[in-house]
Amino acid sequence: MAAEAKPKGVDTTKNPIPFEMAQIPGPEMAKTYMPKVIGAIIKKSKRPLLVVGAELFDDPVMFDKMIEIGKMGVPIAATAHSVKGFVERGYLNNVYQIGLHPLTNNLRFSDWMGLDGQGQYDTVIFMGIFYKFANGMLSTLKNFNRDIRRISIDRYYHVNANMTFGNMAFTPDDYHAAIDELIAAMKK
Amino acid sequence: MRYPKVFYVFSANRSRIYQRKRRLKNPMATSKGSFTVEDMKNVQINIGAVIKEEEEWDQPMGPYPKPNVATLRDWDFKICNRYKIMYSPADDTCTLCTYGPCDLTGDKKGACGINMAAACGKIVLVAVLMGTCAHTAHGRHLYHWCLDKFGDMKFDMGSEILVNAPLTRTILGTKPKTLKDFGEALEYCEEQIVQLLAATHTGQEGYYMDFESKSLHGGMIDSLGKEICDMLQIVAYDMPRGAADAPLVEIGMGTLDQNKAVLIAYGHNLAAGAEAMIYTENNNLWEKVDIGGVCCTAIDLTRITEAGGQSKVPANLGPKAKVAGAMGWWRKMVRAGIMDAVIVDEQCVFCDVLEDCQQRHIPVIASNDKIMLGLPDRTNDSADAIVEDLVSFKMPGVAILDPVKAGEVAIRTAVAVKPKRAQFKKESVFDEQQFKDTLAKCTQCNQCAFVCPPHIRISEMIAEAIKGNLEPFSTTYEICVGCQRCEQTCPQDIPILKLYEYANREYVKNQKFKMRAGRGPVLDTEIRRVGAPLVLGQIPGVIALVGCSNYPNGTKECYDIAKEFVDRGYIVVATGCMAMDMSLYKDADGKTIWEQYGGAFDGRNICNIGSCVANAHIHGAAIKVATIFAHRNERANYDDIADYIMSKVGACGVAWGAYSQKAASIATGVNRLGIPVVVQPSSIIYRRTFMGRTDKPEDWMVIDARDGKMQQIEPAPEAMLYIAETKEEAMLEMAKLCFRPSDNTQGRSIKLTHYCDISMKYFGKLPDDWHLFVRDVKDLPLTFQQQMMKELEEKHGWKIDWKAKKFISGPLRPADVSFDPTNLPRKIRAKK
Repeated sequence: MAAEAKPKGVDTTKNPIPFEMAQIPGPEMAKTYMPKVIGAIIKKSKRPLLVVGAELFDDPVMFDKMIEIGKMGVPIAATAHSVKGFVERGYLNNVYQIGLHPLTNNLRFSDWMGLDGQGQYDTVIFMGIFYKFANGMLSTLKNFNRDIRRISIDRYYHVNANMTFGNMAFTPDDYHAAIDELIAAMKK
Repeated sequence: MRYPKVFYVFSANRSRIYQRKRRLKNPMATSKGSFTVEDMKNVQINIGAVIKEEEEWDQPMGPYPKPNVATLRDWDFKICNRYKIMYSPADDTCTLCTYGPCDLTGDKKGACGINMAAACGKIVLVAVLMGTCAHTAHGRHLYHWCLDKFGDMKFDMGSEILVNAPLTRTILGTKPKTLKDFGEALEYCEEQIVQLLAATHTGQEGYYMDFESKSLHGGMIDSLGKEICDMLQIVAYDMPRGAADAPLVEIGMGTLDQNKAVLIAYGHNLAAGAEAMIYTENNNLWEKVDIGGVCCTAIDLTRITEAGGQSKVPANLGPKAKVAGAMGWWRKMVRAGIMDAVIVDEQCVFCDVLEDCQQRHIPVIASNDKIMLGLPDRTNDSADAIVEDLVSFKMPGVAILDPVKAGEVAIRTAVAVKPKRAQFKKESVFDEQQFKDTLAKCTQCNQCAFVCPPHIRISEMIAEAIKGNLEPFSTTYEICVGCQRCEQTCPQDIPILKLYEYANREYVKNQKFKMRAGRGPVLDTEIRRVGAPLVLGQIPGVIALVGCSNYPNGTKECYDIAKEFVDRGYIVVATGCMAMDMSLYKDADGKTIWEQYGGAFDGRNICNIGSCVANAHIHGAAIKVATIFAHRNERANYDDIADYIMSKVGACGVAWGAYSQKAASIATGVNRLGIPVVVQPSSIIYRRTFMGRTDKPEDWMVIDARDGKMQQIEPAPEAMLYIAETKEEAMLEMAKLCFRPSDNTQGRSIKLTHYCDISMKYFGKLPDDWHLFVRDVKDLPLTFQQQMMKELEEKHGWKIDWKAKKFISGPLRPADVSFDPTNLPRKIRAKK
């Protein structure tokens, strides 16, 4: 009897087109990865920082998923007014309120000591941020601090990241499943 | 030393010679027509003209009259050293010369040797110059036009405005007495623009910080260009000169009477639109015609002859025009079919205006040589012949570069074409069946969502509309920026903006509101009243809501931001599209924001300063705080004034709909003057921001002018150009960017109260960095005092004497009301 095909999980490598189509920066563009690969990379990072924005309010379940990641020891930079979502859920342990702009300004300097004073981060993971703004901030890091790995786990293909999902903006169920797979990979 | 009351025009060399003179501390101009230059040999100086300087100005000439490209470089570098230049490249390549495309990603260099930072700096400079040129060229056009139409006129801003052209005084060191005197200022601007643009050529400037110094210079020139422009039109058209009670004018698409012919004047330069109004008035045609403006022409038309002074234009003409809407409403307006003819002038006009109008049989008259749209130049033809061609649709539009003729043709055409295009008007909008049939074409492919700037889920709206629910089309109508990219990308060719029009037809009919007409400059008397509370912090700040309508989340946010700050007692000023868009909302009593609050430059008031060029008066108000309240000499003393403003005047601009290069030049200009600006998230496309690092104490050292000692200050203001992701973040940052080192304890407590209160309201918690701004227990907001003192002790390790309610250790510095922070060594008061 043939063994049942092992589920491969959600394919997050499809649709690698900038969510705003004209955002074509140049020769170096992001590659798409499967959730478990990104999860493993985050897990292996020594100083990861999860950066989340106000689009989480449009899909509130994402707050809970981000808190799950936070509870695994990944500090969270809550940009815009997204910290309110964490306040409402009573989770502020490793959540820092900071704008994406000043955060990125700090991230581009190798001598910045981080939100906790323990040193610069080696990986940033963007999620739930207004597309064009996130794209610009990733561009800053891409060009002015290449020591930081740039990961997007947003529902958009982020062209200036190193690692990203393809566009999943119109398949919310798949996207939620992808984030769950990523979290599961981090827990392994 | 008092500067001689005679000076000489040596064409381009004059300001350099002035500067040299200052360095030598040896005045070279000693008497009329003769002078010596001690260390210059073999130099020939030609005297072009001798101008007798006015007698009454008691200020000596400052150090930097007519600063050249590098004159204020030291000041710029002070700004850039504290507020680190941050680039967000929109493009990793350079394609400006035949060596390219060059990949500049990371640390790569182009074939010419340029790196990514400098390449970004170059693009930023070009963008700033685009904006600067637009304003200055507008000023140049008005200069010629006003002198031609009205002749030279006395430059008089009324008895309550004696510091009457603050930017001209601060930058040039001159006081214009007549309109003609602004010619010198225009020549100066034009020379600087040419020099700056030359620096962008391949093989010229190659260092990013120098590009930014040049951009800051360009921004300053932009501010001067705007001032020239608005001063010319205020005097020539007798516009309000600081009138807090400027009349309320009608705004909204629904205000245009569809029983009359409707002419829309679209752009920024009032010349032709004003002539259309004058023609209408002189020929008693108001019963037949409504004139509405779009973008800043709208604001300026409604300011005409409201001051009640002498004018060659009919009195109180302004309120007879209506504001059809801000620039973002243009395409919605065309599709709503509210106009019969259009006259375009310059700036912010969509490039496909002719195509849009032609499809709907709306004749277009291009009235300015900056925008001719490929139309035939009919300036020298008879008005009768042109009207005949337009009304019979022989041609979709014409260019007429004589404003008088353009105005006449526009009115006559609108009146004559109205009945002829009635059928076309009807056909250009959907009926119910067409609407439904079009909805049915949608395949839900979502291509439209990939190009929509505010990320409207258009396919989902259509799906709802098919079910009979038009609410999503209504709730997103004000969020849609009208860019039309969705229509271009739709594989089914669905005219999405026409769907919007159908779904919002009733709203358009009822879009009727009031806006206070642009009041113009701030009065000297107002500055005297608010100077002390503003510098000490008791008025928590000036919030300037500036121009453009590319909002990330709709026009309502203009109103929300303005209301938040005016309710809190800030001085709120507004210009351009933001002033227009915030007018479109009412409170529970049915009042617009202009009817809810007074129009003075004072706390808990909101002023409509005017159009895009009137932004110069916001710079002007800040300068006047320094010169009227603090008695600083403004004359040719730019860096001193900017230093004062940066350290002591709590002010913050916000361009929440920033879209054009003019927004970039405006922001860069106020930045050079020491005023921070918050912009919307799409502004990242401008590439460059100025951000401080709060973790670097060495960046926040200033001189105490009392004794010359260095003193660390709190990070205030923390940034010069800040991008916020949401309006909530913008408001929090704006409150923070009003902190200044000069705040007294009462003022700091008031500012901290608002900062913390906004954070509690929209973020659900206190901000993480409030402690950075505390110097004394009295700085703490009363509401949070106990909680904050506990946190200072437990979390930040401050030592507190609880009985005496005093800090034993912890703050960066003590509160000191006589602290006199400066960044300029020359401001140290020498001890005798």
